[in-house]
Amino acid sequence: MKKNAIAIGFFAVCLVSSCKKESTPVDTANNGTFKVFTTGNITTVQNLSADTILGFAPSGQPFGAGRFTFFNLEQKALVPNSDSATNRWDVGFRGTTIIINGGSSGPAAGGGFVWNGAFENLTTIPADSVFRTDNASSTAIPSGSGRGWYNYNGPANLVTPLPGKVLVVRTATGKYAKLEMLNYYKGGQTPSSTASDDKKLREQRFYTFRYTFQPNGTKIF
Amino acid sequence: MSNFSLALSVYLLLFSALSFSQERAADSSFINDLDEVVVAATRNERKLSNVAVPTTVISQKQIQQAGSLRVKDILSEQTGLVMTSGFGAGIQMQGLNPDYTLIMIDGQPLIGRTSGVLDLNRIAVGNIKKIEIVKGPSSSLYGSEALAGVINIITDKSFNRKLDAGIRYGTYRTVDANVYASSRIGKLGVSGFINNYNTNGYSIRPSTVDRLVLPVWRLTHNVHLSYPLSNSTSLSLAVRYNHELIKNELAVTNNGQITISKGRELNDDWNITPVLNHRFSDRIKTAVRLYGTLFEGSQKLTTTAGETYNDLQKHQFYRAENQSDFILNDHHSIMIGGGIVNEYLNSTRYDNEKNLKKNSITYGFIQSEWSPDKQVSFITGFRYDKNNLYASAFSPKIAAQFKLSEKLRFNASYGRGFKAPDFRQLYLNFTNSAAGSYSVYGTIDAYRLISELQRQGQIEQLESDFYRIKDLKPEFSNGLNIGFSLLQGSELKISANLFRNDIENLIDTRLVALRKVGGGQTTQIFSYLNVKRAYTKGAETEINYRMLTCMTVSAGYQFLSTADKDQVKDIKAQKVYTRDANGFSRIMQRSEYFGLPNKSRHMINVKLLYESSVSGLFANTRAIYRSKWAVTDIDGNGLYNSRDEFAEGYVSVNASAGKTFRERFRVQAGIDNLLNYVDVSNLPNMPGRTFYTGISYSFIPKINK
Repeated sequence: MKKNAIAIGFFAVCLVSSCKKESTPVDTANNGTFKVFTTGNITTVQNLSADTILGFAPSGQPFGAGRFTFFNLEQKALVPNSDSATNRWDVGFRGTTIIINGGSSGPAAGGGFVWNGAFENLTTIPADSVFRTDNASSTAIPSGSGRGWYNYNGPANLVTPLPGKVLVVRTATGKYAKLEMLNYYKGGQTPSSTASDDKKLREQRFYTFRYTFQPNGTKIF
Repeated sequence: MSNFSLALSVYLLLFSALSFSQERAADSSFINDLDEVVVAATRNERKLSNVAVPTTVISQKQIQQAGSLRVKDILSEQTGLVMTSGFGAGIQMQGLNPDYTLIMIDGQPLIGRTSGVLDLNRIAVGNIKKIEIVKGPSSSLYGSEALAGVINIITDKSFNRKLDAGIRYGTYRTVDANVYASSRIGKLGVSGFINNYNTNGYSIRPSTVDRLVLPVWRLTHNVHLSYPLSNSTSLSLAVRYNHELIKNELAVTNNGQITISKGRELNDDWNITPVLNHRFSDRIKTAVRLYGTLFEGSQKLTTTAGETYNDLQKHQFYRAENQSDFILNDHHSIMIGGGIVNEYLNSTRYDNEKNLKKNSITYGFIQSEWSPDKQVSFITGFRYDKNNLYASAFSPKIAAQFKLSEKLRFNASYGRGFKAPDFRQLYLNFTNSAAGSYSVYGTIDAYRLISELQRQGQIEQLESDFYRIKDLKPEFSNGLNIGFSLLQGSELKISANLFRNDIENLIDTRLVALRKVGGGQTTQIFSYLNVKRAYTKGAETEINYRMLTCMTVSAGYQFLSTADKDQVKDIKAQKVYTRDANGFSRIMQRSEYFGLPNKSRHMINVKLLYESSVSGLFANTRAIYRSKWAVTDIDGNGLYNSRDEFAEGYVSVNASAGKTFRERFRVQAGIDNLLNYVDVSNLPNMPGRTFYTGISYSFIPKINK
C-alpha cells in the first residue's frame, strides 16, 4: 500500500512537471488514467482500456463487455463505440485482438501488416508491401501468441508485446501510420511473473503504444 | 540478525579452538583418495588415479559428516552440480537439465522420472558406501540418459558383522531413522537396511494452505544376499523397495474463486537385481546381470466439493545383460557386453491407462583399455543401441591419460552421448482442462489425432510445425573434456577440467494446431519436435588443501556458459530485438544474451572441515554460492537476455559438528541454511534455517582397524 502511494505520488509529480512541455491530454474519461501526448511526430497513447475483464464464464474463460475500443489516429482521440459503422475510427482494440477499419471490421478501406524491425528504422513503407484487410477468419494484424504483435507466456501467464514489430496501418481515410505496441498492462507496467493471477487478469487489456501518423498521405515517415 | 552473528562468532571461536589442538593426521577422506576405486567410469574397478575421465567420489564419511539424509543433500554441495526444483530435486550437470544425467544404484538405472526429472529425494543415504560422479558423455557404456554424466550410488556390500542404528530429529518435525545390519552366515553374505523418513513439511509463504515442501513419509528397504558357489563363481541378489507418501493441500485460485483440494501422492519403486559372476581364469571373467524395476506413481486430488482428479503412471523396466572382461596382457584389456531391455508404461495421461506401451532395446558395447607404458593410457569404446520405437544410436568414446609425473596428470576425452525420446514424448495424450485448456500429444499419435479433429471440423488452423511432426530421433551430444590434476604430497590436490557439450536434435514442445472451442475461442495443441541445438561449455576447478593435520579446506568453482545455437544465429543476424529503458524496441546485442534458463554462470563452494581421529571430534562448514539465473522472458523476444527476469544469486551455508566415541557411538548436530536464505518463487524446495541433532550406535564393535 505504502509503495503504491509513493508510486502515485511520483506519477503525479511527473504529470505536473512534464505536462506543460510535451503533453496534450485529449481524453481523460476512460478510467481516469488514459492519456495521449505528442512529442515531435510521435504520439504516445497510455492506458487505453480494451475490453477489460469483468468476470469469468463457467468454462473459466474471462470475459469483458465484448466491445472494441476505437481510436482515431489522426485526431488522437477515442471514438465512441456507437460510431463503429463509420469511417471515424482507424484501429480497434479488444483484449489481444486488434482490428483495422476495413474488410469485415468496418466500412472504410483500411488495412495493415506487421513489419519486422525497429520503429525508427521504418522510414518508408516498402513499395512491395501487401496491406491485408480483416476478414471473417483472420485479422490483418494476426492474433495469437507469437503470430502478430504479442507473446503469451503460459507458465508466467503474461502477455508481452513482441519487440521489433511495427504495425503498419492504412487508416480509414487512406493515410498511413506506423504503431509500436509497448505494453498490455495498466500503467504500462507488466506485473511481475510472481504476481497473483488475479492481479495479472485485473490489470491486463490496457494498451500503451506509440505511433507516427503521416497526414500528407505519403508512405514516408 | 544479532542472534545469528552471535551464533556465528561462537561457532568460529569453537572452530579455531579445535584447529589449534594439533594431532596425528586423521585419514582425511576429504582429499579424494587416489587409491579410491571407481566403477562407473569404465564399468570395471579402477583406481581413481588411473581414470581418464572427470570423476569424483564422495565417501560415506563425507556424507555422514555433512549430515545428509537424502542423496540430494550431498550432491547439492558438489562442484558444478545444481539441484533443480520442480517435479522433485533433479540434478543439473555441466549445465544440462536433469533429463540428461543417468542415476544408478550399483550400476543399475533408476526409473520413475516426471517431466524428465528423477527426484533425488527418493534415495536415502544410510547404506551408501560411496557415490561416484562421472562427468561428460558415458553413453558408450550405459546408453540413453548418460549424456551429461552418470551418478552411480554404491551401497555397502562388505558383509562385515555389523548392526548399526541411528536416529535424527530436526526442524519441521523431520525424523529420520536407520537400521543397518550385515553378516556372513556360513558362506552367505547378508545385509539389510531400513530407513524411515518423516517430515511435516513447511511453508515459507505466509498465510496460505500451500506448503512448499509437503508432509512426506518415505520408507526404504534394501536387502543384499551374496553367495559364493565356488572359488570362481558367486551369486548375488539385491532387492530395494522404496515407498513414498506425500500429502498435499492445494489452493487453486481460478476465476477469483479459491478451490481447496486435498491430495495424496504415492510413489513406489521396486528394484531387483540378481547377478552371477564367474571367473574363468585370472584373465577372463564374466557377469550375467538381470534387473527388474518397477515404478508406480499415483496422484489423487479431491476438492472440498468432492470432485476428484487422478493421475497414474506405472513404468516397468526389465533388463538382461552380460559383460565379459579379458586381460590380454599387462598393457591391454578388453571388455565386451550386450543386453536386452524391455520397457513398459501405462498412464492415465495416455490414450488409455490400461493400454500398455512397450519399447525394446537391444544393445552391445565394447571397450579397450590400453597402456603402452606407465605414462600413457587410452580408453576407446563404443556402444550400439537398437530401439524398436525410434532411431538407433551409436555412441563412441575415446579417452587418454598422460602421467607427466606421479604428481601431474593430464586427461582428455571425447564421447558421444544420447538420450532416447521418452514415452511421454511419444504417447502423451493430455488435455489440461484447468489452465487454458491446452492439449499435448505425443508424436506417435499427434498426426492421426489432429487429422481426425480436422475431419470433424474442430481445427481452426494448422501451424507450419504440424507438417514437421515425424518420428522422434534421440537427442545427441558431442562432449569434450580436457583437464589435469596436480598432487603435492597428501596436503594439496588441485584439479581442473574444461568441458564442452554440443547437443543436437533437442526435443522441444511446439505449437502445432489451434482447436476451436466455441464462442470464437481457440485452444492450443502442442507436440514434440527434434528442433533445437544448444551448447554448454565451461571450466571447473577444485582445490583441496590440508592446512593442519586435522584441518582441510577445499574450494570448488565452475564457470558455465550456455546457448541455444539458433538463438545465437538470429542475434548475430540482428534479427532479435529487445527494449530500451523507455520500452522502445532496439536490436539486441550478443553481449546481452544470457543463454539457457536456470543456468548460473558462476558456482563456488568453500568447505572447512575438521576431523580428529584421536578425540573423535569433527566439525565442518560448507558454503555454496550460485550466481543469478534467468527465470522469465520479460521483453517478449522469446529468449533470455539481460532485460529479463532473474533469480538472484545466493549463498547457502551448512554446518555440522559431532563426536564419535570409541568408533561406536556418534552424536551429531547441525544447521542447514545458516544464513536463512529464502526465495519463495525460485527456490521453493529450500526452507529457511533448519536445525537437527542425531545419534547413531554400532552394536557390534569393529573387529580390527
